[in-house]
Amino acid sequence: MKIEILFPEFCNLFGDTYNMIYLEKTLPDAEFIRTPIGGTVRFTEEKIDLVYMGPMTERMQERVIEKLRPLKEKIAAEIERGTAFLFTGNALEVFGDYIEKEDGSRIECLGLYRLFAKRNMMHRHNSDFEGTFEGQTIMGFKTQFTMAYTPDESLGLFKKVKGIGLNPKAAYEGIRLRNFFGTYLVGPILVVNPPFTKYLLKLIGAGDVPLAFEKENMEAYVQRKKDFAEKVHG
Amino acid sequence: MKRNLRFYFALMFARGTALVLKLIGRKGTSMPGSWAIILCPDFIGRMPKPEKIIGITGTNGKTTVANMIEDVLEDNGIDFICNRSGTNVHTGIASTLIANSHFFGKPKHKLAVFEMDERSAPNFFPYMQPDILLCTNIFRDSYKRNAHAEFILDILNREIPKGTKLVLNADDPLCSSIGPENDRVYYGIDHLDTDKAVCDNIVNDVPVCPKCFGPLVRDVVRYHHIGRVHCENCGYHSPTPDYRATQVDVEHMQMTVEKDGAAHIYPLANANNINIYNSLAAVAMLSEFGLTPEQIQKSFKKMGISETRYSETVANGRKIILHLAKGQNPIACSRAFENIRNAPGKKSVIMFLDDYFDARHTVENTAWFYDTDFEFLNDESIVQIVIAGARHHDTYVRTLLAGVPAERIVHMRNEDDAPAAVTPEADTIFILYDVYTIRLANAIRQKLLEGGKEAAK
Repeated sequence: MKIEILFPEFCNLFGDTYNMIYLEKTLPDAEFIRTPIGGTVRFTEEKIDLVYMGPMTERMQERVIEKLRPLKEKIAAEIERGTAFLFTGNALEVFGDYIEKEDGSRIECLGLYRLFAKRNMMHRHNSDFEGTFEGQTIMGFKTQFTMAYTPDESLGLFKKVKGIGLNPKAAYEGIRLRNFFGTYLVGPILVVNPPFTKYLLKLIGAGDVPLAFEKENMEAYVQRKKDFAEKVHG
Repeated sequence: MKRNLRFYFALMFARGTALVLKLIGRKGTSMPGSWAIILCPDFIGRMPKPEKIIGITGTNGKTTVANMIEDVLEDNGIDFICNRSGTNVHTGIASTLIANSHFFGKPKHKLAVFEMDERSAPNFFPYMQPDILLCTNIFRDSYKRNAHAEFILDILNREIPKGTKLVLNADDPLCSSIGPENDRVYYGIDHLDTDKAVCDNIVNDVPVCPKCFGPLVRDVVRYHHIGRVHCENCGYHSPTPDYRATQVDVEHMQMTVEKDGAAHIYPLANANNINIYNSLAAVAMLSEFGLTPEQIQKSFKKMGISETRYSETVANGRKIILHLAKGQNPIACSRAFENIRNAPGKKSVIMFLDDYFDARHTVENTAWFYDTDFEFLNDESIVQIVIAGARHHDTYVRTLLAGVPAERIVHMRNEDDAPAAVTPEADTIFILYDVYTIRLANAIRQKLLEGGKEAAK
């Protein structure tokens, strides 16, 4: 099993590096390929079971978009083929249509799905999110400068129960396109949501493997669910 | 800026607020300044200021350095005002200016020393120009407030007045890049015995050359991105320090600082890396202000680290150490964890890292645990970790993922239960606490002291 981590030296904000460290501890025999920004992207050249990219700074986001733009057709083909992707934080904006800045100017993204983001650097959004995915509770945290909009809610990843979805009016958080999963939730999402992690591992062919510290992590998940029920509103 | 009717109304209202607060016995509040700014948004700009202003900003260490600078100035009989007892945001600065002014706002003192919150820079730098501004470092901090280092760096570059002289950390490639047009001096440390061959931290916000994105050669690796670097592609390199700590002698608790070819020895209050940098930063700033090495040395000899940040007690043969580990700040907590690992003895660590306010009414974003080097706690000298607080399950999972064996960890919801769980095997007990939980930390220390007395009977 091969897992490629895109540009980990930069796309590593908000503790999300641990999404992949958690998988490394869970899948000790898997090969983890860390592709630096100056390196050659592997998933468009060879079979990769999961491609991961984490949150990044706004300047780096523009650099990442330009790095991946020449690979747009190949990336679209990989999504169509069913390769699994997990993009967290503002990484999900990279494959959308564009990012609109405060002055109205736009950063054109790869345009692989219908989504745009509005950036407001002076108003940071922070919130707790609870939603559902395949009948399981998903929890996570949002800490971001953008709100995202899509005309096609059928692309929604997590159905909102509490908190804010892609934007304050959205019924869903995140984007799902075949096996592409993009979410603003940090946490890291794979540590904080063991049921989702197990789903993802099955999807990429790892089977029903025990997660690292699964029992302890499930206890934390159950406690968090109780705390969300008591303390998180809206 | 001219003073208008609105300004005077705001000033008088703030004075009234301060009087009421005084009558009801409340101190150190930023409420007068808050009201002044609500009523007159550019109040700080219109308020007359002392002739000279010194500012201290940066992600970590600014409170400690500001306190050191203030202590030295006081010890040398220099008259000044400061926001030590208030807050370091614009409302705290406004409150300090109001409290130390005559009836119509004329300042009572010629010098102001302000600790300045870096994130709040847009709220005060347009209205006041420090003569000298020290920046300790730039790191990731609270995600909620500070987002990431680039965001803070952009704010400072945009807001710092061009006429302000900067005192910058040469060993921080982010900090040393601030305000390229400003007059500046740098401080840096040649060598520390704890210098490393490779960075062993999760977070390194300068992974490549900040100029050309080429590979960076790390000549000195200290912690996170702190150290000395150069780029063979474009020639970028860490700036040469004007204030160079050429020798840090931990055994004798002193450092030698060279400036313009002259070397002077300064006592150290604490020998961990962070506090050596803090002392050096204070030396650089005080020297730029105009104090002589002798004046600084004399005051440094009397100095300790503020008890709200670090304190040691010995009882019944066991050392109890209160160590600040600022919540939601992965770098500050990583430093605390490394200090604990490097401390001598068999150690037990009591941690309650939860955000005091978040825990009361919501579920804290614990993502910052995963930027924090819990891995430093995986050391045989740390015989036990006691985790308490609302997010104890989450902290437990993070500690396990760091490789700490489960048998060395206990965890519980109630912080008050932590002292009873401490193993007698430990000869040193660290209590890690957030800024807002110092009272709780003191209560836990007291329980440990009382427990020790009981055991001694």
